Amino acid sequence: MSLPDLAYPGLPLGPSSSYIPGPGTHLHLESSTIHASIAGRPTFTPPTAKGSKPTLSIPRLLPSPTHAPIPSSNVSNTNTLPTVGSVVLCRVTRVKSKQVDVVILVVYGAEGKFGRGGEGSVCADEWQAVIRKEDIRATEKEKVVTAEGFRVGDVVRGVVISLGDQSNYYLTTGRNELGVIMAKSEAGNKMYPISWKEFKDPVTGETERRKVAKPF
Amino acid sequence: MDRRRVNGPPGGTTPPCYASTSSGKTHPSSKRTRGANEIRKIFLKTGLTPSASGSAYFELETPPTNHSNSLTNRTPALKLTCTVHGPRPLPRSAPFSPQLLLSTRVKFAPFAARQRRGYIPDSSERDLAAHLETALRGVLIGERWPKSGVDVVITVLEGEEDCPWHALAAGNQNGRTGGWGMMSILSGCITVASAALTDAGIDCVDVVIGGVAAIVRQPAAPAQLVLDPCPSDHEEIIAACVIGYLQSRDEVTETWAKGNITASSDGMGTTPMGFDALVDQAVEAAVAARRVLVEAIREGTEAKIQGSQIDFHAIGAALNIKENAARMRFYRLRKAIEEGEPGATPTKAATTPTKRKKDQANSDEGSAKKVKDEEVVDEAEGGEEGEGN
Repeated sequence: MSLPDLAYPGLPLGPSSSYIPGPGTHLHLESSTIHASIAGRPTFTPPTAKGSKPTLSIPRLLPSPTHAPIPSSNVSNTNTLPTVGSVVLCRVTRVKSKQVDVVILVVYGAEGKFGRGGEGSVCADEWQAVIRKEDIRATEKEKVVTAEGFRVGDVVRGVVISLGDQSNYYLTTGRNELGVIMAKSEAGNKMYPISWKEFKDPVTGETERRKVAKPF
Repeated sequence: MDRRRVNGPPGGTTPPCYASTSSGKTHPSSKRTRGANEIRKIFLKTGLTPSASGSAYFELETPPTNHSNSLTNRTPALKLTCTVHGPRPLPRSAPFSPQLLLSTRVKFAPFAARQRRGYIPDSSERDLAAHLETALRGVLIGERWPKSGVDVVITVLEGEEDCPWHALAAGNQNGRTGGWGMMSILSGCITVASAALTDAGIDCVDVVIGGVAAIVRQPAAPAQLVLDPCPSDHEEIIAACVIGYLQSRDEVTETWAKGNITASSDGMGTTPMGFDALVDQAVEAAVAARRVLVEAIREGTEAKIQGSQIDFHAIGAALNIKENAARMRFYRLRKAIEEGEPGATPTKAATTPTKRKKDQANSDEGSAKKVKDEEVVDEAEGGEEGEGN
């Protein structure tokens, strides 16, 4: 069965007996047909395991550059929602003794890549999130001091572990690849990482403590 | 003297008062020229508001008038614009929501009707918003957007009124928007909001389309069922019904009926005129309007897919060829790459970066020289393919 060139919400794409509904599609139970739920060009990915069915999906489209406020970039007015497991880049807004408040700026899709090579999407709005004290580090959790891991303004790579409560997503940095990736010193200079827990200011020569993300 | 606000001039002004052109004469009401099961022509376009996540503009055909061309004599048509903002984070005070929270707002522009509207939403606007919300809630797949909200804002730029403006000027006070005109406004709101939601890329089970049907009576004629009534076309509207309809699942998300249906079923004609017949006709109107909506979505999506729209004029100028020649060359190459023609495969590696360079030319026209160098490769390939065919 050939897929239509362009799909719009409600367009039947194929029977659920031969396809699996992927992102951008949904299953209508009464007719057991997979319908499109967003507008776009439908694609199907071949089955990963033998005996399983190909997945139908519709990739989300960005607004056309003629209409977008910033042309030739992937900044859009549409948000990609962080889900459990997605890698995010965020900025620290507040450091408390029990938790670190951050805002999510960029959302990457698949976990495991840690944002390497994957297409990140810049959020139109900032999503509130927290890194709890026990989620900062994987080991010796009870000895963690939040102020020795983060400072306001740091850019942090984290993974969403929960949708959290009413306002905050919960993130973790408890892995080698996760933590602070960009930081400025107290003097206001950009610093570079020198160890798993230290950044160095090239101007003053002083070091500051951070939960440093392992560079790729 | 109010010191906290900007005060007007001390002398005071009087608003201009225009003389009525109709000079008290009542013109005959404009007549419906289309058939009973024919809807008005619709203009619909998506993606017109750059700052919104999704947007759409909706307009109904202005009915032809047999009066003079005076501005006050024209029959108002329906013009709506819709913007969708979101999905965006909920305010901090809002409780946890596992679903997308929908909020709708309908506002008449102050100049939408002959009677000026205030800035504070009045009851008819809140009413429309509530009806719109029920119509849209049924199509959204809310579970895909937890902890977020979406705002649908509709501005009525021009609303339909119950009788033509010249009749209003002649002292007919029934002509405010708020009567039968509300029905077509709601129907338009549903359609335009559906287009804007699709433009914003929010998951929906189907497109929802508004449709209106009405039972009308002309003097000395039996009552009649018509689709998409224009209030000023009809002497008397007995009942009307708006629905929000999902065609692919044959479901109705919103029904709003008004008028006296029992009184109209006195059976002068052969058509049955119960509530069911009215709803059936409204569904028919929605089905007819769906084609326009689907076509508008298709156009908007195609524009997005073409994404980096290539400025063929600039490329043509840089290459000393015509704009159309540059375009044809691009599409021929793209087709060859997509189809993976055996003749095109050896050059595939070379063509892909060339195409990318072309896209860059769009964003940076200053680099015409660079493009020129790249295009030499392109041109050679284009020639090859031409010979191959």
